[in-house]
Amino acid sequence: MLTKIPEFNFLKATSVDEALRLIATHSNYKLLAGGTDLLMDLRIGRYKPEVVIDISKVMELKYIKDLGDKIAIGSLTTLQEVLESPVVRGKAPVLVEAVSNMASWQIRNMATLGGNLCNASPAADTAPPLMVLNASLKLRSLSKGERVVNVNEFFLGPRQTVLEKGEMLTEVEIPYVKDAGQSYLKLGRRNAFTLSIVSVASLVKVEDGRFKEVRVALNSVAPTPVRARSVEQALIGKEVSYEAVVKASNEVIHDISPISDVRASAEYRRKVSIVLVRDSILKSLSGLGINVR
Amino acid sequence: MSVEDPYALLDKWLNAQELLVVGKDVTRVDAFQKAVGKAYFTEDYLLKEALFVKQVLSPYPHARILSYDVRKALDIPGVKAVITAKDIPGVNQVGYALPDQPLLAEGKVRYVGEVVALVVAEDYDTAFKGVESVEVKYEELPYLLDPLEAMNRNDILIHEEIGSNIAFKTKVVKGDVNEGFAKSDVIVENEYRTHHQDHIYLEPEAALAIPDMEGRITIICSTQYPHLTRDIASKVLGLPSSYVKIITPYVGGGFGGKDDEGPLVAAKAALAAYLTGRPSFLMYSREESIAIHPKREATVIKYKSGASKDGRLQAIDVKIIHDTGAYANRGPFILWRATVHASGPYEVPNARVEGFAVYTNKVYQGSFRGFGNPGIQFAAESQMDLLAEKLGLDPIDFRLKNILKEGSTTITSQKLDHSVGVGEALRKVAEASDWWRKRREYSLDTGRFRRGIGVGVAWHGISTSRGVPDWSNAYVKIEKDGSVTAYTGIVEMGQGAPTSAHVQIISELLGIPPTKVKVIFGTTDAPDTGATHASRGSSIGGIGVLIAAAKLRERLAKLASEILNVTPEEIMFKDGRVYSKKDPNLYIEWKDLIKEAISKGVELSATGYFFLPKGKFDDVRGQGFAYPAFSYMVVISEVEVDVETGVVKVLKVWPALAAGRILNPQQVEGQLEGAAVQGLGYALMENLVFDGKGRVVNPDLTDYVIPTIRDVPEIQKPIYVEDLFKYGPFGAKGVGELALIPMPASVANAVSHALKTRVTSLPLTPERVLELIRSSR
Repeated sequence: MLTKIPEFNFLKATSVDEALRLIATHSNYKLLAGGTDLLMDLRIGRYKPEVVIDISKVMELKYIKDLGDKIAIGSLTTLQEVLESPVVRGKAPVLVEAVSNMASWQIRNMATLGGNLCNASPAADTAPPLMVLNASLKLRSLSKGERVVNVNEFFLGPRQTVLEKGEMLTEVEIPYVKDAGQSYLKLGRRNAFTLSIVSVASLVKVEDGRFKEVRVALNSVAPTPVRARSVEQALIGKEVSYEAVVKASNEVIHDISPISDVRASAEYRRKVSIVLVRDSILKSLSGLGINVR
Repeated sequence: MSVEDPYALLDKWLNAQELLVVGKDVTRVDAFQKAVGKAYFTEDYLLKEALFVKQVLSPYPHARILSYDVRKALDIPGVKAVITAKDIPGVNQVGYALPDQPLLAEGKVRYVGEVVALVVAEDYDTAFKGVESVEVKYEELPYLLDPLEAMNRNDILIHEEIGSNIAFKTKVVKGDVNEGFAKSDVIVENEYRTHHQDHIYLEPEAALAIPDMEGRITIICSTQYPHLTRDIASKVLGLPSSYVKIITPYVGGGFGGKDDEGPLVAAKAALAAYLTGRPSFLMYSREESIAIHPKREATVIKYKSGASKDGRLQAIDVKIIHDTGAYANRGPFILWRATVHASGPYEVPNARVEGFAVYTNKVYQGSFRGFGNPGIQFAAESQMDLLAEKLGLDPIDFRLKNILKEGSTTITSQKLDHSVGVGEALRKVAEASDWWRKRREYSLDTGRFRRGIGVGVAWHGISTSRGVPDWSNAYVKIEKDGSVTAYTGIVEMGQGAPTSAHVQIISELLGIPPTKVKVIFGTTDAPDTGATHASRGSSIGGIGVLIAAAKLRERLAKLASEILNVTPEEIMFKDGRVYSKKDPNLYIEWKDLIKEAISKGVELSATGYFFLPKGKFDDVRGQGFAYPAFSYMVVISEVEVDVETGVVKVLKVWPALAAGRILNPQQVEGQLEGAAVQGLGYALMENLVFDGKGRVVNPDLTDYVIPTIRDVPEIQKPIYVEDLFKYGPFGAKGVGELALIPMPASVANAVSHALKTRVTSLPLTPERVLELIRSSR
């Protein structure tokens, strides 16, 4: 149920330096990027910050750059900008696929890539694709300067990340992956604008008829978005076949720990995780022109 | 017989040879304003000086109220008043069918979300703070959530004064069911369950009450029946009805929900305005809307039916249980509708139907597009498929053997003497969808994706049930410049009754363009027109408009005939000119005719009162005249089911409608599409989830999901069978609810066909579909 929006001080930063200074001097703060999660969370009483620091006008963190061997995306880039970027579409199609399934046009024009990651919802839709792309996250603070964390190490629990007090996410770096098939599949309660029951991202590389590289990640089936390491291990080095994919997909239940909620039961999530992992890997393979059945 | 006899006027236009405006795709007059976002809704009238009202809600499903402490709240600067039951100057009783419901809880609370007190403050946030500071002491009482349990227990009573948790019972008994089953070669028996549904109108409930110097109150509010809203508000305030005026601007969707909740919101805002002397504004958040306002009833339906080898239905024995929640509200009427429609649109010689509306400690049920009918048609149509299967007949062939036609009698033994187009609609839509081929072909699917095709046929009584009085009215006046103003109590809530149908009727009768017609709608300044519910806005609401305009036309035709020296019968009204059909050169301009009328003393205003004739109904046996006519709807749905994930995709939908004259095909198509999607949402995904205390767990649009445009199937052009109804305007019966009613049945039958196993409960979420597949193995 909604509560009265708590009272807080509102500060606005216009540069990264200013934002870093502000978060260094306050302890109980929340950063406002697009606000599409934060405002609802304030209304339902999830957070009661003393200070809300608005970084939505920090223009220097809004960019998508093609660096030749990787794409650099400023953390305040909106989801709609990600969706419409030819660079991302060309080099990281799995991310575009995921974002195209997210929310509505209105929300995508407000919500930011960094916000989706830092909110650390178990259902974050940009997490699985970035995880299979092995993206790096640049984190900055006044005290420690810049450090780089792999997105696969970023999430600690529901709404918990490795971000420390006074630290903010500034950039997402996506390395180019050559000759990889990628895909994102989302199962929700309807076809658009909805939280997932399960989503799966996968990325595969094949050499000489064998799986050279397999990366699979899911959301909504654990306290954080997770990699399906058991599935990956079961496939790497194996000859590509439908049976191998089916067999390996079953392993996903070792990687996930779903709960029952108003969206679906844990049992159902386990079942369809297997189906979606299989379908996603098969779809990634067919992206490489390999159709097994 | 006077020339202004309403029966004669209705009959004349029912049989009109040529129609110029009615029956055409006339663009509604509010289309542009709405498309560009300029239309005003209640919230847009908010005054700067208005106080904000917020509601204190019960956190318990069932509890005695021991005390209120409002001091802390009143100490907050800006809080102007805290209102509880004892502050109500008039009567704290708003029960619609039974006197069981207070506006503000009194003595007890009966569901989580029941309104206990109102806080009135200078601004929204202060009102919110006030709500959090009101202290109410409760003594928790044992509570009941399951209607099957509640109806069999007397140790816990939700309404002590009734002595039982059964709020209301209904019954229909025709012939002898035992004999009927004895004659049956196949018998099918099942239990069906349907669930709650929220209306999710775009605009949540809102009202702005403005007191004036003379002790009167004007309420601008989002409601479906201004006159009832006024009556309830004035009763709560203890004022004469004439002291309360209702203005209903554009309503952002109603679907029945604002028929129930609209008057209560208005009464609460009025109470705040009356007690503070300041304009007061109350608007629900989405969360409050879902927690507080009535829902489509959840049902348990036990259905037994039998048919003989020749494919004829012989008997039905049906028990309907409605979870009515904390209050009866319109439950008795909803239950009556379900009861008399229990057979589906078929001839059944022997029937026993019993209905029970049962109190539970949950948010109460109320009006929702279809009004008790979608649940029972789902059960009836599932039974029809099962009987057909046992008989080895195609489901549509079996239905056609039993379908109602002119001369048939219903299960209340009402003889249908005219306007029964359902058989033709069913035949036509079956052909259009290529039913017989697909039904055979899809049965052969064995892979992951299985196709299915299903049909739902429904009937829906027009007007109030049984002998409950129903009437139409409108006030129409011609201004000096020849433009026309009409007043109706019908509201505009998206359906277009006053902004298309009523405008077209006046334009047709007086021969002037729609742009010269202004319909003032949704106001108590109009004569009581009844509610905008029960698919009656354009049709029954239109009768008054037609009769008033027809009276004016008769008067003006007589005047024109005198001026042109021809007979009144040959006078035509068209394109702003009044002329002789025989010699169009004999004419007078409309504007000049109006000048003549003013100078010659012809009255240019008229009302169009019409009282619908009804027959007798015996409530004890449930036999007799149920409705003046029925509208009929057929929907065929084609689905594809993923048997690995349980996801159901509705691919295509074929609608066919027999609702008399189609006044505006474009508008009707819009209504059918909207209703089909709302029905599809109900069948597939919409689901109100309650926790162990009867609290709604998903009172928001994150977790109460409704279809988006990407969930909408390909909806084919509707098939219309214009089975004219003698008391409808130009023979129109009513459309608004129709396409929703057979939708759950249609989708469920298609999924049952795809999976070769029977769906008996809704919604068909992927998870439930997987369970169904597993349990059928």
